[in-house]
Amino acid sequence: MLTPVTILTAAGTMLVLAVAMALVLGWANRAFHVETDPRVEAAEGALPGANCGGCGYVGCSEYAEAVVLGGAAVDLCPVGGPSTAGKLAEIMGVGLEEKVPERPVVHCNARLEDRLGRRPYEGEESCAAANMVAGVQGCAYGCLGFGDCVAACSFEAVRVAEGLAEIDYEKCVGCGACARACPRNVISMVPFRHSRVVVVKCSNKDFGPEVKKVCKVGCIGCKACERAMGDYFRVEENLARTAPEKFEPSLDFGPVLEKCPQEGIVFLGLPGAEGRDGVAPGRVEVEFRTTVDQAEWRG
Amino acid sequence: MNHLVDLLLIAVGAAFINNFVLHYFVGICPFIGVSRRVDQAFGMGLAVTFVVTIASFLAWFFTWFVTRPGAPVTAWVWGLFAPGSRTVLDLSILNYLIYIFVIASSVQFVEMYLKRFFPALFKAFGVYLPLITTNCAILFACLEIMKHVSGVRDPAAAWGLDQALALAVFGGLGFALAITMMAGIREELDLCDIPEPLKGAGITLLTAGIMAMAFMGFTGVDRGLAAFLR
Repeated sequence: MLTPVTILTAAGTMLVLAVAMALVLGWANRAFHVETDPRVEAAEGALPGANCGGCGYVGCSEYAEAVVLGGAAVDLCPVGGPSTAGKLAEIMGVGLEEKVPERPVVHCNARLEDRLGRRPYEGEESCAAANMVAGVQGCAYGCLGFGDCVAACSFEAVRVAEGLAEIDYEKCVGCGACARACPRNVISMVPFRHSRVVVVKCSNKDFGPEVKKVCKVGCIGCKACERAMGDYFRVEENLARTAPEKFEPSLDFGPVLEKCPQEGIVFLGLPGAEGRDGVAPGRVEVEFRTTVDQAEWRG
Repeated sequence: MNHLVDLLLIAVGAAFINNFVLHYFVGICPFIGVSRRVDQAFGMGLAVTFVVTIASFLAWFFTWFVTRPGAPVTAWVWGLFAPGSRTVLDLSILNYLIYIFVIASSVQFVEMYLKRFFPALFKAFGVYLPLITTNCAILFACLEIMKHVSGVRDPAAAWGLDQALALAVFGGLGFALAITMMAGIREELDLCDIPEPLKGAGITLLTAGIMAMAFMGFTGVDRGLAAFLR
């Protein structure tokens, strides 16, 4: 019942309550004040705000805090690259070392027709799920082609074509999300000192005859590349590996590319001055498809 | 003994039978929004339990001492202004306003306090603490307490602080249970072949509906329990 008395007491109660709360909160604000470093805000402003997690922290603000308070390195942000690192270094007043940008490389070269021993798979179309099932495809090391890396990429830089993940190096910022998403660790981050690099597109560590049973293009560990260019290639665990940090555009890879019986050694990255031909010798441009070969993969 | 049984029945009722999310459908936004991963969902559930306990304590306190008909503090203050007056003041119209006001301020206060003295806990709660302030599950608990404090005809049947806190703590735990179960299911759903139109919120709401039906199985447990214990 709204009598003038009720209205007055209600108004009075709210007034008293409001003043009391304001006093309490005002006091608390002073009594519980926590000094925050103004550099944290400055560092957060300098970061791109993509929150991709490429630096290894949850988000940009956590990284900013880690830089200022935890003494984390200033050059961990892959998206911002050198310019962001420079700004952070300025805020923190530290020197900056040159850092080689890293880009993901899919260490598998097998399109659908190159993969042997594949069986019908009717499960959820994700690499994480397919990887739990034995015998989805012969090669236990190679790309599954369900595109977990595509889903992980925030920059639309990954696509799956003919069942094989491909990186678009013009869009890629090197945050490493695809490498973390890949359940088979086919994708790894490789330093790109130049716009291009030479890598071995295979992850299979089995012996040659075993590889030939499951893949037409897998590395058989024949060591032809090691013999031809020992300082760049080395074969460990039956798998040829490269030293991408030693890549120079002046190096002549012609003989090695010729020697490799599996054509597993390829140029990757942005085309150099010599044009697009140098990107991947012997590779056929394929039509982009949104799903992997439905006829066989879905059973 | 009967009092303890009452408390137990309130607790079981709040946690299972009349689960905040699955029976009253309050607190759906965090239930859908923060149930992607089990650890996050569990943290959210505990944060809700924490805030709902504080809010219910304050709601009971203000309802009992200030706003219910004939509340002692109000009567005393009124007595200062009009000695000998026989008017019984009823400030129940202020309930909603005071609850929202008090919840918001207390959460602000708790946040500042945690930030200063328990930075680890503050970090763990993160953005959830201020988010929960505007959660309807909190206000719902307060209103439920209001119903049992100022809405009862028999003053002896009005809830005391212990009953209010039993509702709050176990209601919060029931929410934590529901959201954690949901997160577990959703983690599995991520690996399932869900029809395109149902992906995301659609399948989540369907799952929540089926969970609510499952929780309907608890209906009547309180009556059986009461008959057994008394």
